[in-house]
Amino acid sequence: MKFFLKTAPLLAGLLSFSVFADVAVIVNPSNNSELSKSDISKIFLGKSKTFSNGESVVAVNLKSNSATRDSFQKEVLGKSKSQVKAYWSKLIFTGKGKPLKEFNNDKEVIAFIASTPNAIGYVDSSQVDGSVKVVN
Amino acid sequence: MKKKLIYTSLMAALISLPSQAEITFNGFASIVAGTTTSSSDSLYGYNDNIDFKEGSLFALQASSDLGEGLGVTVQIASKGADDWEPEFKWAFLSYDATDELRILAGRQRAPFYMYSDFLDVSYAYPWITPPTGVYDLAFDTYDGLSAIYTTSFNEVDASFHAIYGRTTDKINAFGNEITPDVGNLTGLSSTFTYNWLTLRASYFIADTTLPFSDLEALAQGWQQAGFEDVANNTRISEDSSSFLELGFQVNYDAIIIVGEYTNLEIDNSPLPEEDSYYVMAGYQFDNILVHVTYGVDDNVSDIYTSDIPYGLHPDIDYLKGTTEGFLYSQETEEEYVTVGLRYDFHDSAAFKLEYTDFSNKNNSNNDAGLVRAALVTVF
Repeated sequence: MKFFLKTAPLLAGLLSFSVFADVAVIVNPSNNSELSKSDISKIFLGKSKTFSNGESVVAVNLKSNSATRDSFQKEVLGKSKSQVKAYWSKLIFTGKGKPLKEFNNDKEVIAFIASTPNAIGYVDSSQVDGSVKVVN
Repeated sequence: MKKKLIYTSLMAALISLPSQAEITFNGFASIVAGTTTSSSDSLYGYNDNIDFKEGSLFALQASSDLGEGLGVTVQIASKGADDWEPEFKWAFLSYDATDELRILAGRQRAPFYMYSDFLDVSYAYPWITPPTGVYDLAFDTYDGLSAIYTTSFNEVDASFHAIYGRTTDKINAFGNEITPDVGNLTGLSSTFTYNWLTLRASYFIADTTLPFSDLEALAQGWQQAGFEDVANNTRISEDSSSFLELGFQVNYDAIIIVGEYTNLEIDNSPLPEEDSYYVMAGYQFDNILVHVTYGVDDNVSDIYTSDIPYGLHPDIDYLKGTTEGFLYSQETEEEYVTVGLRYDFHDSAAFKLEYTDFSNKNNSNNDAGLVRAALVTVF
């Protein structure tokens, strides 16, 4: 029993780390689309522009100096900061993509997503409140 | 009353305009310093005087979303190599017919190579510039139409880019500035990405006219001597041309491997058939990428005057000698090795350092070593 108590939090920690560390991907509560990790990755790499319910996607970023953005990009997109920047410069300078809207902090992201039905973003999971829905 | 209604709706339209016609500005720049390692060497526009201009460039892009799938993009680049004269690299209207299909009309990049679309955006790739031996077509931009279709088959992302157009932008070649005419430029590039592997193939055809005065003078000489076929071969006039590219890219964890092969042929012309390729391997250590590239550039001329014997007439001997002199001078067998690193020291900027060892098997006087350092950025 003692063993179990010790290992359970450890396991939980490992499990959540293998998903998205402390990053929560959030959408508007009205959005009932199914989103896999690969769907989310495609959205944030500009490859996918619609949700499974057919609504067009508005994906938003935190500012590039954010640690949450770093871990989101590493774990979900599988790319480092400069790799993501290089990837997006390809899209931008060929007119294929527009840079995603950026917000200064988690609060701004949550406020935007709570008021925008087709928006998707990510924040530090400790900041999530009832105005948005966590999808991962 | 009716008038008033029209007036009010017009006002409403005008008021809503600024939000729709929002213009986004982005830019990129490379500041490149380079020098050859020995006083007798010159390579890619560099000699043994440290130069900061030849490889440097600044570019600014403005784009606007007009709504309903319509957009406009303009990119102006100014290069040290062109004495900083600004040039429109892209200027097009785009229409997103569906999420998968996009139509472009106007001035745009021809997708000849893997890195064509973002050729000048050094921040987007490992080297300071992609290997010159392969990336050596005389032009990279055309005016016309294109359609880009992006889709996925299960786990494979695919993209098809079809183009049609023409280019008449002035080029510098053999020490002359000429106005070429590359018309009916038609082609398709296709790219497939599965997980860590990307495969690419592209094929283009065109009718090429390159009015070099020296070649024209030679052609007239052949014509007067009664050799119509040789005259036509010497002239580069509406000659059917083809360009083929095959490429691959592996991005596996910290390992990157890239290779490209190209073949260029301008039929019935004194220009050689060009076969070029390179292979690059790199390894990413945290924020430093170390890479090495090996490349080969083979140009083989068709000596179309070889059937004509010497001794027919002094004028013909002169024409034959001059023509073959030109044809043989176009033949090359070049090889180069580039070792380099890219250091991402900042969110939006990288430092790059490269050394290229170049050798020409046909003429060892052209062998050269080149060191380049660059600061590249996107903003």
